Amino acid sequence: MSGCSDGSCSGPDRLPPGMLSKYDLDLPTADGTLVWLEVIRGPEPRFEASSLEILDKARSICEGRVFGAVFGDKELKPLYDIAFSYGVDTLYHVKDKRLVQFHPEAYCDAIAELSARIAPAAILMGATPRGRELAPRLAAALGAGLTADCTDLSADGRRILMTRPAFGGNLVATIACNGFPQMATVRPGAFPMPRADVGRKGTVIYRRYLGSAFKNIVSSEPVEAESVDISKAKILVSLGNGIRDRATVDLAESVASKLGGAVSCSRALVDRGWLPQSRQVGQSGRIVSPDLYLAFGISGSVQHKAGMSGSKRIVAVNKDPDAPIKESADVFIIGDAHSVLKELDERLDSN
Amino acid sequence: MKIVVAVKQVPDVSSVQTDDSGNIVREGIPSVLNPYCEYAVYMACRLKGDGPVTAVTMGPPQARGALLRCLELGADEAYLISDKAFAGSDAFATSKVLSAFVRTHIPGYDLILCGKQASDGDTAEVPAELACMLGVQQFCYVDEIVAGDDLRVLQNYRDEKRICVVPLRSVISVSKGECNRRLPSINDYLRAADVEIKTLDKAALGLDEQSAGVKGSKTRIISSRSSGVERSCVTIDGTNPSDAADVIIKEAGM
Repeated sequence: MSGCSDGSCSGPDRLPPGMLSKYDLDLPTADGTLVWLEVIRGPEPRFEASSLEILDKARSICEGRVFGAVFGDKELKPLYDIAFSYGVDTLYHVKDKRLVQFHPEAYCDAIAELSARIAPAAILMGATPRGRELAPRLAAALGAGLTADCTDLSADGRRILMTRPAFGGNLVATIACNGFPQMATVRPGAFPMPRADVGRKGTVIYRRYLGSAFKNIVSSEPVEAESVDISKAKILVSLGNGIRDRATVDLAESVASKLGGAVSCSRALVDRGWLPQSRQVGQSGRIVSPDLYLAFGISGSVQHKAGMSGSKRIVAVNKDPDAPIKESADVFIIGDAHSVLKELDERLDSN
Repeated sequence: MKIVVAVKQVPDVSSVQTDDSGNIVREGIPSVLNPYCEYAVYMACRLKGDGPVTAVTMGPPQARGALLRCLELGADEAYLISDKAFAGSDAFATSKVLSAFVRTHIPGYDLILCGKQASDGDTAEVPAELACMLGVQQFCYVDEIVAGDDLRVLQNYRDEKRICVVPLRSVISVSKGECNRRLPSINDYLRAADVEIKTLDKAALGLDEQSAGVKGSKTRIISSRSSGVERSCVTIDGTNPSDAADVIIKEAGM
């Protein structure tokens, strides 16, 4: 397989098309589901939530066994039982302390080899940044079809139908793969967090990684988890270009905390530096689906709507009676965002 | 450095139409260079040194527009890969065509740059598939590229930022969708207009009917529909903030 650590693997004739034919896994006997279990590293490693959400979905819609693949060293031992309790039958632990760090080339090689051994009908992973980087590489290595960022999966026997939004959420497409293995990344939160079946048993199989496709990682720093995760908030107080006074941001924070929600925004406020990028809703920001989305001074560009059109209820406040967000709102209030927030802040105090 | 930038022309997202098989109808819809690709061209031109920067796209004849934009932004040459047999390509087939292009036309390249994703499909699959098919390393979510004694990138995984040394011939995909660069000058426009955009078909890439397009794709669209959730769009006069607050407090169940 590719040994990329020194860039020496780059000769145009060394891998494909040989590599592509090496894994011909479009077999009539393909069966079961292989899930890459992403691990959040730290003193106490844990599974990324989306990996567990997928396991449960795989159990409920797919026939056959559920295989898990994890990368790391002995620090992963406490996670074995968790993997089983969420539905893994056989867990492949690629044991190598260098693979605690994310090396997409090495991960790809190792999962491709596992796949050749298992011949799964489907390979799934979370549509996290790492999942969305690893999956296409693996798809190319296996010659597999891949659907990115699915919001739903259903199965007809071993055949999986994948649903995903496209065109900034304006379209929803249902996609199928033409052969096995079928691959998909699944949007975090697309499925509810399952309950663990504590005590459920499975098998661990250790694998060694014999390749050398390591990156030269000079430094790596964890980014402090944002204290506010707008994708998890039930109520969002969201601010847009119509907000002209910086003090309105503080007001919105106050209202959001009284409502038990969080403050988000459109790109305009990130560009002004009034709120961090982690609060941005939209195509280039986060995709959110709260119970209630309160849009203040947001005109409603297509890019913004792509990030919030999945909200259960949408209430928009805008001075412009023709603001395009009107069409996306359940309730459209023609009014001044700042005054309404001020009124809300006072009223919620007295409640 | 010889840099290849693989770009995509995207339809204006606000006027989307699909044909009966769910594929996107590109004809007749205003198109633009994908914003992430624009940034990739900008980064390539900053890095190139002696250059050249080669922009390449696969698409219908009018995708020339995107290439012209790349030339205006500073790319030195441009290739349009256009063939009816390539229509309906998914990410796998697209990557296969692009990898065939790189092997046949720019075999001595130093670096490939891509935008993180296209604003129409949002799949973000091509950079990593292309890297795998070429047998080289991939660097996704790149916020910064620094050329010194070696080439380094800052990758942002949201919960982790890391710096990696990039071997030559890798594929880098950049995360930013806009850049505060200077606007093209009259000279840029004139220079761009003078560059011949070369058109390549499947034969020029050594590909056949089976290797790309619908036949070479690994996925197929079963159906697609507008995602429009019906909203009631009740309009309320909120000139009096108190009326507006009433509605919102009720919605919030407070």
